[in-house]
Amino acid sequence: MENLDEKFNETIKMGLEIVKETEEDRLMTLSVGPQHPGSGHFRFTIKVDGDYIVYCDPDPGYVHRGEEKMCEYRNYIQNIPHLERPVIHDSTNITYSYSLAVEELTNIQVPLRGQYIRALASELNRQVYTLYWLGIYGIFLGHSTMFMWPLGDRELFIDLLEALTGARVTHAFNIPGGVRNDMPEGFKDRCLRQVAYFEKRLVEYEDIFYNNPLFRQRTEGVGILTKEDAIKLGVTGSVLRASGIPFDVRKAEPYDIYNEIDFKVQYMKTGDSFARSMVPFLDMRESCQIIRTLLDKMPQSGEVRAKLQPNPKGPAGESYKRVESGRGALGYYIVSDGTPKPYRVKLSVGSFRNILALPYLLIGSKLADMPSIYWSLNYWPVEADR
Amino acid sequence: MTNSAGGFIKAIESGSKHLLLKRFTLRYPEKKLKFVGDGYQFDPKRGVGIAGSRGRHILFHDKCTGCQLCAIACEGIAEAIGMVKVNEQWKHNKKAIMPQIDYGKCVFCGLCVDACPFYALYMTNDYELSSFTKEHLIYTPSQLGIKPKYDGDVELKIGKRGADHG
Repeated sequence: MENLDEKFNETIKMGLEIVKETEEDRLMTLSVGPQHPGSGHFRFTIKVDGDYIVYCDPDPGYVHRGEEKMCEYRNYIQNIPHLERPVIHDSTNITYSYSLAVEELTNIQVPLRGQYIRALASELNRQVYTLYWLGIYGIFLGHSTMFMWPLGDRELFIDLLEALTGARVTHAFNIPGGVRNDMPEGFKDRCLRQVAYFEKRLVEYEDIFYNNPLFRQRTEGVGILTKEDAIKLGVTGSVLRASGIPFDVRKAEPYDIYNEIDFKVQYMKTGDSFARSMVPFLDMRESCQIIRTLLDKMPQSGEVRAKLQPNPKGPAGESYKRVESGRGALGYYIVSDGTPKPYRVKLSVGSFRNILALPYLLIGSKLADMPSIYWSLNYWPVEADR
Repeated sequence: MTNSAGGFIKAIESGSKHLLLKRFTLRYPEKKLKFVGDGYQFDPKRGVGIAGSRGRHILFHDKCTGCQLCAIACEGIAEAIGMVKVNEQWKHNKKAIMPQIDYGKCVFCGLCVDACPFYALYMTNDYELSSFTKEHLIYTPSQLGIKPKYDGDVELKIGKRGADHG
């Protein structure tokens, strides 16, 4: 018996020597994504030491499809349907800055009513995007009511956009020179009625989600991005505004008729996940006001679209325009060589800039805080990969 | 933590209130939404579209000249439109070619409607285009000439007991 015991002990000793625990062995590598276990179509590798994240490596590019290169083979009008594919839930805003840039290149003046309708469609679409994002944020924090409600109320705005543009999601509505069609009859009353109803719903959202102690405990003080770091990392949109910097492209560089619209830039000072999730919510409330102002100030009749050649082209040159999308500043840099097709199109998107902050926020936080930090960055993988 | 209890009670209250409210969901196959107008149309004289739903197309055989502008517009977008021979004789369409649309490829952007200078191609409210084979998604000019029936009549109602789809 003694012999056996000795043998057993020796084997254990040998085994222990083989799997000698090192610093590396204590860490566990986890791969999050790219096929949507709470990350969208995006992968990031994290290393955890017990419950704490010590390493994070974001790896975008899973849904890259070469949108910028595709632009070089199509003319300025044909580019519109495929350019809205990277972020179909915000398709009016992603073609908005494209239209602005092409207008500058080709020297087209947009009629006033066209500018108003364009801004109106942009605001409606911002609501659609933010509600979709809010629904996903809710479900990944385990709050399934907050998934159902925003995705249901999103229909209010999808219906409005369908009446205005003709399509539910991919509108192809903005075009260099204005918008493709005028508002249908009775649209204004319908819009005002549904926006008023939506504002009542926002109060309920606050009760069930934002003032819910469970949600607050999961987000308050989690993943704090300071003002200085936010500037250094170059984040934009709601992430920047949550860190205490009231920057909004609509206010800083007003495009179209935004300099005539009176609105407040919503921002918060804490810079944690709660602030980052609260700022889009405050934006939605402000957007309702903007929609009302736009409908009020809009000229009652007039042209909505400048006369356009079938194949517009401008002199050789370059232009850069940006708008405030649901995820921050969204800019287009277009170089033209005088032919009907652009020589180069470059997108500068908010998603890609915001994801740069992910490693800085994740390292040092708990694994359970990962969803609340990641989704608060207002990141849309397809747009970042383009 | 003093506010905790109040916050929970308020959250539960705002959720449970919805037991008494109407259901928002549209019961789709039984009920369908009402659209604005007969579908997206385009007025080439004014150069502006007329608001409407962008469903499948309708082709007016008495107006189509076979100029191929719709097919050229679609070239860089979806390549869904091809010109095919038809067994019809029209004075204005000597080549006797008309567009045929592959709905497996079409993205319903409606830029072909914008390209037509002869009021021959519009869009309709019909969006239910599912089929068992890919080949059935290719609509020939004669299929495109038929006006589809769409009988959606549900509108969103907003009342005291919340919003609902009837």
